Amino acid sequence: MPSASIDTFLASTVIVILVLSAMAGTTKLMAPYLDDLSNRDEAERFQPLASHLLLTAGTPTNWGQLKDVAPDSFGLATADPSQPYELDIDKVSRLNSANIYSLTYADLWEALGVKDVSFNIEIRTLFEVSITVVSNFTVGAATVYEFEVATRKSGMPVSADLSSYVVVQDFVNKTISSTSSSGVGSFAVSVPNSLNGTALLLVFARARANSQMISFSVYAFGHNSETPLPNQTFTRLSPLDYVLNVPLAYSTVEVLKAQAFSFNHNFSLAQKTIGVQTLEYYVPRLLDSSPMILVLTGSNVSTSFAEWVAYPQLPLQTGADFTASTAGSKIVSQSRIVTIDSVLYEVVTKWGGLSGNV
Amino acid sequence: MFDQKGQIRIIEAFLSVAVIFSALLVSVTFPSTSNLIKQKSLANTGIQALMKFDANGTLGSLIVQQKWAYIMEGLDVLLPVGVSFNLTVYDANGRQINPQVIQNSNLLSGEAVSVQYVCATQSENVEFFVLHLQLAWAS
Repeated sequence: MPSASIDTFLASTVIVILVLSAMAGTTKLMAPYLDDLSNRDEAERFQPLASHLLLTAGTPTNWGQLKDVAPDSFGLATADPSQPYELDIDKVSRLNSANIYSLTYADLWEALGVKDVSFNIEIRTLFEVSITVVSNFTVGAATVYEFEVATRKSGMPVSADLSSYVVVQDFVNKTISSTSSSGVGSFAVSVPNSLNGTALLLVFARARANSQMISFSVYAFGHNSETPLPNQTFTRLSPLDYVLNVPLAYSTVEVLKAQAFSFNHNFSLAQKTIGVQTLEYYVPRLLDSSPMILVLTGSNVSTSFAEWVAYPQLPLQTGADFTASTAGSKIVSQSRIVTIDSVLYEVVTKWGGLSGNV
Repeated sequence: MFDQKGQIRIIEAFLSVAVIFSALLVSVTFPSTSNLIKQKSLANTGIQALMKFDANGTLGSLIVQQKWAYIMEGLDVLLPVGVSFNLTVYDANGRQINPQVIQNSNLLSGEAVSVQYVCATQSENVEFFVLHLQLAWAS
């Protein structure tokens, strides 16, 4: 074989090998970028949708207060916001399925008006409050309960001032304390032994960094009685338009007292109307930067109960179930800080194609 | 055994492959559109967190009181989990006034974006501050 042919063969082989290597390298290097390009459209498209949802009031602009009206267009902002991302307390509450005036996902999807998109909305406090009973013991005619409270965000400690209330029937005891820089605090409350039934411990935690960062938690326990039944067994508390609507689950339920609690204040609610197995109470508008917890105490036959609801009715999650989405479907998640009645909350919206359950 | 033509072809092959790889390297060094979107989104998150933090004049007040730990904790609460940040506070004359670092972790792990925010105290003697917030997704 002539040497020129061998040279040509060798050169061709080298070229082929190098070109193939280059192609393989190119494919490997470019794959994530090509994938990014295909995702770009979704990210660019869903971002304005999330902003639209949180920056516009929808139509009618006061749809949150209109009990039986579903919005024509979907927006959660107040009708007259003083700052961006200020949400309406009633529009938010109507997203919670526990509210008797809640909207279904189909209503929301229809009002959004984007037919090829599914979405999920989660609204929660900025940090978590967890309550643990450390001990309880009798002192004279009362039982003393010791509690430990932890304030954390995803495990990271948050130092906070605490305002706690214990509620049993018409008895209320307020305690002021705080959590340390490790996010843990403790306190004790005393409850008279002359009472019995479900007791609620309401804890409001206000971050020291900013008075608008408030979280809350409620712990139910039996005082001189058995473990309480789940919340809202006897009533379905549904606050809307600063009225607490109370449908009673049984005709035998007797209401003792309706009360509202915030970080700084607590007071009894004035009754608005009495219907057939339903009651309504006025909820006052507070200047206090704090969510409210509305508590209803009463009895059903021989069972004394205490039930509660937060106003705005949070935390909540509504919309498509993306956990059931098919593998590989693209979901864009966006987090925003919003204000509801002067308190900061976190809204996480998730967007995807129509793979979620509508 | 090898003549000059063969050697030239091998050199040509190397040169052509070098050209191909150079082109690739140049294209890869350009930021992808997706990264730009992510960075823009992170910058939006940062500026929104600062705006909400300062909604009632809290930031200016905490700076005047030099409560750097509270500022760090507030940003920790407001920013999404997995975002690392580094905040530097300057006065109106451009002098850095935070003596200690305000950050939750170092930013070496990801591509950082920087946002600037101006805040003021809500008092008779108004003081202005310029905040530089660097953000990155922790890897």
